[in-house]
Amino acid sequence: MMPSNLLQIAAPELILAIGALALLVLGAFRGNRSTLLVSILAGLVLIGAAAAAAVAPLGPIFRGGFVSDEVSRFSKVAIYLMSSVALLLGERWLNRLRAGQFEYPVLILLAALGMGMMVSAGDLISLYIGVELQSLALYVLTAFRRDDGKASEAALKYFVLGALSSGILLYGASLIYGFAGSTRFVDIAHAVHTTAAPVVLIGLVFLACGLAFKVSAAPFHMWTPDVYEGAPTPVVAFIAAAPKLAAMVLFARALLEGFPDAIDQWRQVIMTIALISMAVGALAGLVQKNLKRLLAYSSILNIGYALMALSTGTQLGLQAMLVFMVLYMIDSTGAFATLAALSRDGKPMETVGDFAGLSQERPTLAIVLTVLSLSLLGLPPLSGFWGKFYVFKAALAAGQWQIAVFGLVASVPAAFYYLRIIKTMWFDAPAGRTDTPAPDAQAVAVAAGLWSLPLVLVGLAFLDPLAALAARAFGLS
Amino acid sequence: MAAFLLQYLPIVIMLAIAGVIALALMGAAWLFAPSRPDPEKISAYECGFNAFDDARMKFDVRFYLVSILFIIFDLEVAFLFPWAVSLMHLPHPAQVFAFWSMMGFLGVLTVGFIYEWKKGALEWE
Amino acid sequence: MDKQLLLIIFLSSPLLGALIAGLSGRRIGDKASMAVTTGLLFLSCALAWNTFYQVTWGSWSERFTVELLPFINVGDFQSAWSIRVDTLSAVMGIVVTTVSALVHLYSWGYMSDDPDKPRFFAYLSLFTFAMLMLVNAADFMQLFFGWEGVGLASYLLIGFWFKKPTAGAAAIKAFVVNRVGDFGFALGIMTVFWMFHTIRFETLFPLIAAKAGTTWHFAAWNFSALDLAGFFLFIGAMGKSAQFFLHTWLPDAMEGPTPVSALIHAATMVTAGVYMVCLLSPLYEYAPNARGVIILIGAVTSLFAATVGMMQNDIKRVIAYSTCSQLGYMFFAAGVGAYQSAMFHLFTHAFFKALLFLGAGSVIHAMHHEQDMRKMGGLWKYIKITFVAMTIGNIAITGLGIPFVDWGFAGFYSKDSMLGVAFAAGATQPLGYFAWVVGVFVAGLTSYYSWRLAFFTFNGHARWGHDAHDAHGHDDHASHAQVETHGEPDAGHDDHGHGHGDHKPHESPWTMLVPLIVLSIGAIASGFAFVHYFVGSGQEAFWKGAIFTGANNHVLEQSEHLPVWVGLAPLTAAILGLLVAAYVYLWREGLGAKLAARGGPLYTFFYNKWYFDELYQVVFVNGAKALGDVFWKQGDQKTIDGLGPNGVSWLMGQFGKGLGRLQTGYIYTYAFVMLIGVAGLVTFALMAWVR
Repeated sequence: MMPSNLLQIAAPELILAIGALALLVLGAFRGNRSTLLVSILAGLVLIGAAAAAAVAPLGPIFRGGFVSDEVSRFSKVAIYLMSSVALLLGERWLNRLRAGQFEYPVLILLAALGMGMMVSAGDLISLYIGVELQSLALYVLTAFRRDDGKASEAALKYFVLGALSSGILLYGASLIYGFAGSTRFVDIAHAVHTTAAPVVLIGLVFLACGLAFKVSAAPFHMWTPDVYEGAPTPVVAFIAAAPKLAAMVLFARALLEGFPDAIDQWRQVIMTIALISMAVGALAGLVQKNLKRLLAYSSILNIGYALMALSTGTQLGLQAMLVFMVLYMIDSTGAFATLAALSRDGKPMETVGDFAGLSQERPTLAIVLTVLSLSLLGLPPLSGFWGKFYVFKAALAAGQWQIAVFGLVASVPAAFYYLRIIKTMWFDAPAGRTDTPAPDAQAVAVAAGLWSLPLVLVGLAFLDPLAALAARAFGLS
Repeated sequence: MAAFLLQYLPIVIMLAIAGVIALALMGAAWLFAPSRPDPEKISAYECGFNAFDDARMKFDVRFYLVSILFIIFDLEVAFLFPWAVSLMHLPHPAQVFAFWSMMGFLGVLTVGFIYEWKKGALEWE
Repeated sequence: MDKQLLLIIFLSSPLLGALIAGLSGRRIGDKASMAVTTGLLFLSCALAWNTFYQVTWGSWSERFTVELLPFINVGDFQSAWSIRVDTLSAVMGIVVTTVSALVHLYSWGYMSDDPDKPRFFAYLSLFTFAMLMLVNAADFMQLFFGWEGVGLASYLLIGFWFKKPTAGAAAIKAFVVNRVGDFGFALGIMTVFWMFHTIRFETLFPLIAAKAGTTWHFAAWNFSALDLAGFFLFIGAMGKSAQFFLHTWLPDAMEGPTPVSALIHAATMVTAGVYMVCLLSPLYEYAPNARGVIILIGAVTSLFAATVGMMQNDIKRVIAYSTCSQLGYMFFAAGVGAYQSAMFHLFTHAFFKALLFLGAGSVIHAMHHEQDMRKMGGLWKYIKITFVAMTIGNIAITGLGIPFVDWGFAGFYSKDSMLGVAFAAGATQPLGYFAWVVGVFVAGLTSYYSWRLAFFTFNGHARWGHDAHDAHGHDDHASHAQVETHGEPDAGHDDHGHGHGDHKPHESPWTMLVPLIVLSIGAIASGFAFVHYFVGSGQEAFWKGAIFTGANNHVLEQSEHLPVWVGLAPLTAAILGLLVAAYVYLWREGLGAKLAARGGPLYTFFYNKWYFDELYQVVFVNGAKALGDVFWKQGDQKTIDGLGPNGVSWLMGQFGKGLGRLQTGYIYTYAFVMLIGVAGLVTFALMAWVR
């Protein structure tokens, strides 16, 4: 064990951890006056961590408990940058509601640290630690507005169900450990390769269920609509983006590194979860009136696509998943940023009806939301289309045309609810005057919109080789 | 199979003894203890609960906070025992690493302690 | 000037006028658009007469075609925008442009109250352009283009007063009925193309003789290929020329403004069918069975329309049925092989029928848009010029003349010629005799209804005063079929239009009288001036091969040598008709009304137009509706929509609601769903494992 190498490999997480603790102490001594300062410093910490992650050397440390490879580098950069966007959104939004506290940036940092652990987790222990660190931070963030009954209710549900899912995950982990005699993925893979028994499969399914909760895949999605509706909008923007990527990468690592020889078994499970997610996301979204709930179902649907890519178990599939998740994160963050930017009489606009005739009063945001909706719907040549394009290509290349067809069919009803938003914005009578949009959130929304339409065509040229490089990490075919 | 199960026999025996002792003590109390309540005896404890009341009642969240904070540091000590026992049996480089690991752990806890102190979580009013 | 350029100007000036008036009519104003369209039309008219002169007597004696642009070039299917110049197109060209120019001028007065004048003039010019495209077509494709173009213009003009529901309905009726004919026409074109691999007339005509007698087998029948092609093409002509079975749209088309009726539904468009049959004479000469059908349909149409026309009370409808009847004449003349006679009657008919319509329009204008003849009478004192013009028109249409001097008004020559050839053809084609008998009888009927119209309108007592109600009150029992007409909307903003008795009839402005006078001259003179060229001894030199006459076809020469009584018969019938009309409507005024009141089965039958509208309503309209209902409600709504979009969206909504119901908000439900999920997935995975 080379401590110097260890410090370099773990540098991003060490930066985050020490930064979070230092800022906590700073905040504790300076009180809420320091909120802005803490936010700025937290942003710098995140960017520094992202930079450190980009150049971190490769290799396992802590006896394989913590792994640095191309996937983790790719994901960490994306996650830390998305977290800093959430920081930007939330800081001002909460201040406007007079709910700004210095704990918000610290919690974001801790969640990011947890996600960093997740994508680098090389064994079941670090997997669990990462998941819990991230989740606990998110529970608190959900309840960040303590005086809001809905937020508190959402946080409690999130917490209790999260505890349940952690229990399921731990149960699965202990079954696997009991079978393999080790918590390290490589050892598990070895044990499964030698003998495969039903008990390890049951453990695998439990593990998958626990992780499916974290990515809000059906039927473990029940918390998602309530939490999205209740939590502060910037927090939702955060929950909907980076943690999903982290959990998907963790999912991929656990399955592809831990159970490469049981692929035929877990593929069935993942496919089933993907199918249910797509069905639930597409259908339940149809009857939603609240835009945040609607986007929750949209995220369930999209996680279905990501799982579809994962279920191929190929390098192409992994690349598709990474590209899809990154593009989806940007779209989703943009959509929530639009919601965060808009308010009417100081109250957030959340129902579809609130957006009636928005195009007349706030044409910029209406165009952005239109672009993002069309992108989520998968209209070429917007970014959402390219994400789905990668996924379907991978699924077809792996010969899984049935699930690809199902995915296409599922996007039809989903198209309805995206188009309904657009129709409401452009063709309905205005619902009333809105407040001046928050400049920071509007900037984020516009940036996401610009990315979705023209920039993605250029950006994809960079994203594609990076994702391809990352996907090579697991040594798949 | 039988040999495998026999490994668990001590546990079963222990469970049985624990059950017997618990039942014996409760039964003895029920049989021999005098029961003469007076106002002082049935008045509220320091935590604010009535001695004989419905358990599903509101209580001050401060009790909860204190107990949670207590548990954190309680468990911290629980971690220290195995560490202290095994630290001296390690080879030297690992010993250094293990020592600083625990120091890091304690440091994190200390930061938490500073935070709760400065936030006023330890003050009753 | 270059003749090509002249022809292009001739053809394109109506289009130019239509574009200017149609696209910028609002900007340049009413007067300017009217002046532009009318001026361009007169220019076109002058060029048409120049063409006619050059072709007949001048230097353009050779037939030629000016190709302007390629249109469709697919394999053998070669079509080009072109201008075909021969005697046939030149004759038709002057008919079209002359009547059109006069109608443009006439409309200045007639439409003076209308708020949409630029649109009206744009439509008129557009029609003229389409008609010239049809007339000068050098292949079937352009012919079809013009054919549809005039159909479109006709549709637009019938429905010009689109705020009037009956006008809209009439326009749609005309359009739909014409589609039936066009379907046949298109089939005919396809048949021709299939047989000859060309649609260019020049290339096609020489090939036809070689294919005579070709037969096709279909099921158990043998079809003569050329007869089949001729028959299909004739179906198109039937639609456009309102022949029996497809005639129902023409009377309703009178919902359009009267100048439109004169131009489109009397003089030009409806004769397109006749023109087409004459143009395709090389084909029809080798299709004797198809010609038989033409004779039969033509004769029946002339009889049918005349009988109905006798009983109508709407002044325009009488003339409309008269047109229909005269078209029947032309068809049987063409059917027996005397295309020259058909064209001759087409030519003269254009003048006197346009005259009659415009005269009727002048009457209607004078009567403040009243069309019911029962509310007229004694008008000659008030509108003398119109009266004289209408009388000239009536003399022309009834074919009155002085038999042994051989002088008369236009119809005298052309009608005699047509009946003569029919009789002459009887020797080889028995249907010729049938046509002759019918034709003579119809000549009597024509005379009766034409003079009835004149006497009813201009002579007798004025029935448009305050006593109007008593005069016709008892006459209204016959049928609701008549209710659909009456009255063009009087643009609704000036002094007239509230009760007809309040104002005296007034003579029309000069813009309306000049066309009447010009057309009167045509109605008088077009007969004797041109009889020599069209059907007389000069015909071969005149037509210069534009009309093909088969080797065995000598009807035209034979018609010169017929018994005297054959020649006198139509005149006698016409005079008889005149006398009856005079007796009923002049000497015993009121007798007509009494007869009408008494009714009788024949009267009711004729009055209701042989119940064609009702029959079609029941068979086609209701039948198609019922069929459509079945397809719509059972097929589309229940089956396709029910199982398809609606059913699926309903199902999805249900799923969504079900999932929404699952989202109770209670943690234990959520946890339950999660645990069910875990259990289900474990089960599923174990099953997959075992398998």
